[in-house]
Amino acid sequence: MVIGVVVFGVMFYSLFRFRHSKGAKAAHFHEHTLVEVIWTAIPLLILVAMAVPATATLKNMYDPSDADLDIMITGQQWRWRYEYLGEEVAFTSNLGTPRETIRGEGERGENYLLEVDEPLVLPVGRKVRFLITAEDVIHSWWVPDLAVKQDTIPGFVNENWVRINEPGIYRGQCAELCGMDHGFMPIVVQAMEGEEFDAWLAERKEASAQDASGVDREWSMDELMARGEQSYNAVCASCHQADGSGNPPAFPALAGNQALMDERERHIETVVNGVSGSAMPAFRNTLSPVEVAAVITYERNAWGNDTGDLVQPAEIAERLAE
Amino acid sequence: MAPKLPLHHPVEQSSTASAGGQAAAHPAPPRGLMRWLLTTNHKEIGSLYLIFSLTMFFIGGVFALVVRAELFQPGLQLVQPEFFNQMTTMHGLIMVFGAVMPAFVGLANWMVPLMIGAPDMALPRMNNFSFWLLPVAFTLLLSTLLMPGGGPNFGWTFYAPLSTTFAPPSTTFFILSLHIAGISSILGAINIIATILNLRAPGMRMMDMPLFVWTWLITAFLLIAVMPVLAGAVTMMLMDIHFGTSFFSAAGGGDPVLFQHIFWFFGHPEVYIMILPAFGIVSAIIPTFSRKRLFGYASMVYATASIAFLSLLSSGLTTCSPWACRWPASCSSCTPPC
Ligand code: HEC
Ligand SMILES: [Cu+2]
Repeated sequence: MVIGVVVFGVMFYSLFRFRHSKGAKAAHFHEHTLVEVIWTAIPLLILVAMAVPATATLKNMYDPSDADLDIMITGQQWRWRYEYLGEEVAFTSNLGTPRETIRGEGERGENYLLEVDEPLVLPVGRKVRFLITAEDVIHSWWVPDLAVKQDTIPGFVNENWVRINEPGIYRGQCAELCGMDHGFMPIVVQAMEGEEFDAWLAERKEASAQDASGVDREWSMDELMARGEQSYNAVCASCHQADGSGNPPAFPALAGNQALMDERERHIETVVNGVSGSAMPAFRNTLSPVEVAAVITYERNAWGNDTGDLVQPAEIAERLAE
Repeated sequence: MAPKLPLHHPVEQSSTASAGGQAAAHPAPPRGLMRWLLTTNHKEIGSLYLIFSLTMFFIGGVFALVVRAELFQPGLQLVQPEFFNQMTTMHGLIMVFGAVMPAFVGLANWMVPLMIGAPDMALPRMNNFSFWLLPVAFTLLLSTLLMPGGGPNFGWTFYAPLSTTFAPPSTTFFILSLHIAGISSILGAINIIATILNLRAPGMRMMDMPLFVWTWLITAFLLIAVMPVLAGAVTMMLMDIHFGTSFFSAAGGGDPVLFQHIFWFFGHPEVYIMILPAFGIVSAIIPTFSRKRLFGYASMVYATASIAFLSLLSSGLTTCSPWACRWPASCSSCTPPC
């Protein structure tokens, strides 16, 4: 702003003061090797002077060694998955803003499109290493206040790290265009004191152990449908729509999809292993056997697809064990 | 030579200054549409380029207006995210390849022969051909919006695998249209180089040329250096989509970041392709209206040449270095600052 005023000020003054109609005559000087050399050399020296300390800082920034905690971050269309390595805690973090709010039905909160169903929880004062990758396309995990912005490359693992000083909520977004709902995969980091974090982690471990034991028991239709609807709306609806109508030809409809209803086996196979070469992801690693079973049961019985089929978590777990 | 096309006598005509020569020396041009389809006159082709560029500017501008109108308020108002992405992508592609680049080729067609005392461009029929490739390329590109699954929606930098495995079926047509637009640019660049090197008025040395001519000469070399690289990148995409290769897929031993390296080897010089001729224009207008010669003509020429050279290097640097500047390469919605 100040630079602009100075530069344009001098320019407009000269244009006005030395105008042709006032009989101004241009001074004819040109070519001066010394000034050319000087005004090339000075910026060069400034750049070199800046590069020296910057390089030292960059080297430090890119040194993720000696971390207290390792988090695997996986970008997916269009959500983030967090895995606390070695702790057996993993979960998916979906957009928290309801679709209706995005469409303009209902009040927009303060953190519209910057809220998630489950934030990434991190301890303050500890060095946390991020291992960053993607399932499908390139995303970028970006939390400005933590000074972390790292591309997630499918098939490659990038590293980054953070040591948070202040407890609180830090918000960010996917920073690499990743398709339709690129704007709808925010990041929320909740930083807690060390002890509080340890308690949280222990609680989560407990819960995931319990979820694992749910695999062995027989689930009822109502239970599966309730669980399935929840997972479907969180994970599948962005592509296949909440009413199962999809968005053909890119995203097939599941409601009234008779071919699919006739082939239970292919239905399970598609959800577990995805369709390679298409946008349909494999959910083998991102959903638990309970969730996979529930979501398939839901698809086979919702929206008038009343096949009456039940898919039990045990069946999925067996398939995954192979 | 077909009898209807004007004959081309560079040496005799260059001394009579007026490009195009006397009307009496040539058969009358065909009338109506054929006149513009067959014209080899550098000013007419220059005008065609400029009109085309303006048309594309308005179309790309309307797409930008759709984007801005949707963003006028938070939430979804006018368009769905899928179409929104097509608008941002098409806006970028059309402005870069359809508006800015043809505008400068149009100005070069108009001004370079006049500034160096040439009767016309060195290769007038190729000039005609390189122009008429453009409407073909962009009709094809725009038609993808009407295809099933929509047009390109992966940003004007079309990073793989979003632009390969996860792209709409129309991507194949997008690739073809970029190929055609690329051939047009390369032919235009060859023509400009041939004109500047061969058709200067007798006695005009390189260092006597107006700066606009210099900047375009350097831009033309940049174009020839990087457009084939872009063509290579989209061809690799085509292979990944249709022929089972895995250039950009880690699952088959490839690397998605390879795409970014190749793209920015094109993309970084592209920034200068779009700005160097404008520097040349500024360097012509300001001296004219301040009624004095340009200060430091020789160093301006050297500076322009070194910008071009450094841009070829820095494209490698911005994407290759393990830590510095990963961010410019990851800015998918716009041109990086430098
Ligand atoms: C990123 C978008 C996306 C998400 C999220 C997604 N799918 Fe899909 N799905 C697709 C696409 C694309 C296809 C078509 C694949 C093909 O055959 O080319 C598909 C196909 C399917 C099919 C096979 C349909 C048929 O007629 O063959 C089923 C079943 C399915 N998805 C279930 C699910 C379930 C269950 C979820 C959530 C757990 C889900 N999808 C989430 C994109 C998605
Ligand atoms: Cu993303």
